[in-house]
Amino acid sequence: MSTLASPLLSPELLAQLEKLELVSRKVFRGRMKGERRSKRKGQSVEFADFRNYVHGDDLRFIDWNTYARLDRLFLKLFFEEEDLHFYALIDASDSMNFGEPTKLQYAKQLAAALGFIGLVRSDRIKIETIGQPARQPGPVFRGRRSLWRMLDYLEHIEPGESISLAQGVKNFCLRNAGKGIVVLISDLMDKQGYQDALRYLMARQMDAYVIQVLSQEELEPDVKGDLRLIDCEDDDVAEITVSAPLLKRYQQTLAAFIGGAREFCNRRGMSYLLAKNTTPVDQLVSGYLRQRGLVR
Amino acid sequence: MQWANMLSWWQWIVVGAVPPAIVLLYFLKLKRQPLAVPSTYLWHKSIEDLHVNSIWQRLRQSLLLFLQLLLLALLLLSLAGPSWMGSEQLGERSIFLIDTSASMGATDIEPTRLEYAKQQVAQRIDEMRSGDVAMIVSFADSAKVEQSFTDNRNELRRRLQEVKQTNRSTSLAEALRVASGLANPGRTSNIEDSRDFQVADAQEATLYIYSDGRFPDVKNFALGNLTPVYHPIGTETVSNLSIAALTTSPREDQPETLQAFARVKNDGPEKATVDVEVFIDGELDNAKRLEVEPGESSGVAFDLEGLKSGMLKLRLDAKDALAVDNTAWNAINVPRRAKVLFVTPGNEPLEIALGTDRAREVADITQHAPAFIKGAEYRKQAASGGYDLVIFDRCRPEQMPQANTLFIGRAPPSEGWKAGEKVAAPQIIDSDRSHPLMQIVELGNVLIAEAIPLFPPPGGTVLIDANAGAMFAIGPREGYEDAALGFTLIDEDRVGSDWVLKASFPVFVLNALEYLGGSRTSLATDNVQPGQTVTWRSDTAGETIAVKLPDGSTVDVGRSKLNAFKFTGASEVGAYDVLEGGKVAGKFAVNLFDSLESDLAPRMELKVGDSKVSGITARQPARRDVWKLLVLAALAVLLFEWYIYNRRVYI
Repeated sequence: MSTLASPLLSPELLAQLEKLELVSRKVFRGRMKGERRSKRKGQSVEFADFRNYVHGDDLRFIDWNTYARLDRLFLKLFFEEEDLHFYALIDASDSMNFGEPTKLQYAKQLAAALGFIGLVRSDRIKIETIGQPARQPGPVFRGRRSLWRMLDYLEHIEPGESISLAQGVKNFCLRNAGKGIVVLISDLMDKQGYQDALRYLMARQMDAYVIQVLSQEELEPDVKGDLRLIDCEDDDVAEITVSAPLLKRYQQTLAAFIGGAREFCNRRGMSYLLAKNTTPVDQLVSGYLRQRGLVR
Repeated sequence: MQWANMLSWWQWIVVGAVPPAIVLLYFLKLKRQPLAVPSTYLWHKSIEDLHVNSIWQRLRQSLLLFLQLLLLALLLLSLAGPSWMGSEQLGERSIFLIDTSASMGATDIEPTRLEYAKQQVAQRIDEMRSGDVAMIVSFADSAKVEQSFTDNRNELRRRLQEVKQTNRSTSLAEALRVASGLANPGRTSNIEDSRDFQVADAQEATLYIYSDGRFPDVKNFALGNLTPVYHPIGTETVSNLSIAALTTSPREDQPETLQAFARVKNDGPEKATVDVEVFIDGELDNAKRLEVEPGESSGVAFDLEGLKSGMLKLRLDAKDALAVDNTAWNAINVPRRAKVLFVTPGNEPLEIALGTDRAREVADITQHAPAFIKGAEYRKQAASGGYDLVIFDRCRPEQMPQANTLFIGRAPPSEGWKAGEKVAAPQIIDSDRSHPLMQIVELGNVLIAEAIPLFPPPGGTVLIDANAGAMFAIGPREGYEDAALGFTLIDEDRVGSDWVLKASFPVFVLNALEYLGGSRTSLATDNVQPGQTVTWRSDTAGETIAVKLPDGSTVDVGRSKLNAFKFTGASEVGAYDVLEGGKVAGKFAVNLFDSLESDLAPRMELKVGDSKVSGITARQPARRDVWKLLVLAALAVLLFEWYIYNRRVYI
């Protein structure tokens, strides 16, 4: 499946995205100077607090006016402005390689769009896949000029990673100690369940978003007859005889699955969004994600 | 249910192995198509949910299997050749003779006997196998081929529905001839001729007769290759009252007053009391109560005071099985006097006989000498039908007149008549008393001086036979009749026979005037039966007359001879009006008056030629194949299966 055939981001979409910025509901500590207010006190124009001078403090921050009045040394503290860490975690398992466009392609487009927003705002963008080994962190992108590098990186993500969602998320958490916004783009179709994976994310106290990408074939299966369904990931077989009650039951199961994931996320302070692979990315980003508060 | 094995044992084993094979194939799931999906996660959950429910879910899972097994079962069943215990199977060639006579309109079987017979025939047609051929013939007094041999069952059914009730009498003979002629196409009429070869092989056919058997036995008929099957239609104990006869005549004691005589017959098993009502021109005139013993008939007479002409209607106020014979009509027309030309050199006894009051009443007699028949006046009148009867006494015309004739002492000059040598004192042996001319004419001791024996043309009848040959004969001539007396009554003052002195002579003359003069036929139109031809004599100038039917419609009748109009449409009983130039010129009545038709009890045995045909009341059991139905059902199941497979629906 050629991802080059359809560019991840069209110029129109880029123009649209340029006006947006990523929003974190939490304030994190960044690593480098950036445009975000940080928990850390540092150098900026915005006054934050005073504190007593201790030996070794930078003399440049002593408030000489206070010293003149009170004859005591106080140190002026300023809000530090740091970068935002943004992580896009893409599920590149075989199951994502379905649909038209494939769910993986869709996930890449989504990650590219969100990453671009972050690049424009000098945020620290990191795009990783579930199947990446724990000790092999992905590249970091920062600044608008990294766009092409990021897109190139995205293009080279291939499906076929066989690792459970929970293990993949655990590895991600081990790799990335920093805090920030993490967007998990997956179909959550893991036989061991998605709950453990989401709990890992929660434990890192990151601002987590879960975007569940499902294909049209999964939402409204168009099948008939006696079928042997083969799971593309583990070659598991399900033999079905398609019938109206079965299809009805499938819809009920699907609704319960989606509803369960949404409920799980909402209870734990994560944002959940169901994305259909036929919904255009720009609509999703500028519409749904804006409503959810991920972008502004 | 019967079975006809179509397969041998080893074939059955092969066939019997098919259902287990289907089940095996189904459960081995060889037919499941593999399909890669992103995840079977949701599917597994769905299936598990369904499996949890009940065993019925499993059954529903395999509905397609069950449908396949059902389809196979139906096909196997049809292979086993099942058949219903249907009624008798038809032969390859069948002829249905359906009686449509008046008695078939009886309502002792709902709705009528004819409808019941048609239902029976329809069942037979349904039981025909493909390739069988059948023919439908309806018969009353004549036979009608409704449908000749065909294997088109729809056509047979359609033609069967078109068989209509008639009010006619019954004669099986013609129907049998029609059936025989069509059933044995190669056979010709002259069987005894040794040079008469059969042109085609005779084909056997079964002759199904649906009738109540109310017809005379058929004589001189050989069934040949026809196998008769007689189905009597009707119930044994059926009550029916009928008017068997209705006539009007002047009272003996008061010749001015007309009297109507009717005979009411009871064909039912019980004594019946019935009101007889008389209507004159539609108005109730009189009524009498009558008791009739079963199987007997009673007469009833009504005086018709002051009635000169009109339509008399007699009605039995009875509710019985056959309605058509409960009403009778009688037309009383103003008598039309016959125009008679009497050509004689002088015959006093005959002149006296023709001069009686009664003779003058029925006829307008003109007398001329033999020289008259040479004149232009006679030629004109005779050629234009100006006379009803011409009496030639000891003379012969050059050309026969357009009229009935009576020759005395001469044979008519027309073709076919021959006269023998003159013989002296022949002895009268016999006379035909049944002929209208000879009614109440006693010839016991009549002496004849001399006479010429007469030889009438073919179709003629000898009325007085003597030891020397025929003395009096009558023969047809182009619609007219010529009567000839072989001896003279009086010849130049010499008496030729002492008949003229007997009382029977004026009676004979009156008979001759009434019969040959045609006055009797115009008076005696009361005996027309449905289907008969009615001849109406009229000297109207128009080319057509009109007949008004009982239902009110009018039919034009063309002139068939000089003054005769033949009406053939008298199929319904009732009163008919004859219109000449728009005015009612006369009436006639059509009545059933058929004791055979009115006696409704069906005859259980027929006699055709020398063979007896017994009626079959119960239908004989026979096979009726149903494998086609099973195959059709299998097809329906197949369609249903396809529908379920594609639409993914369940019951």
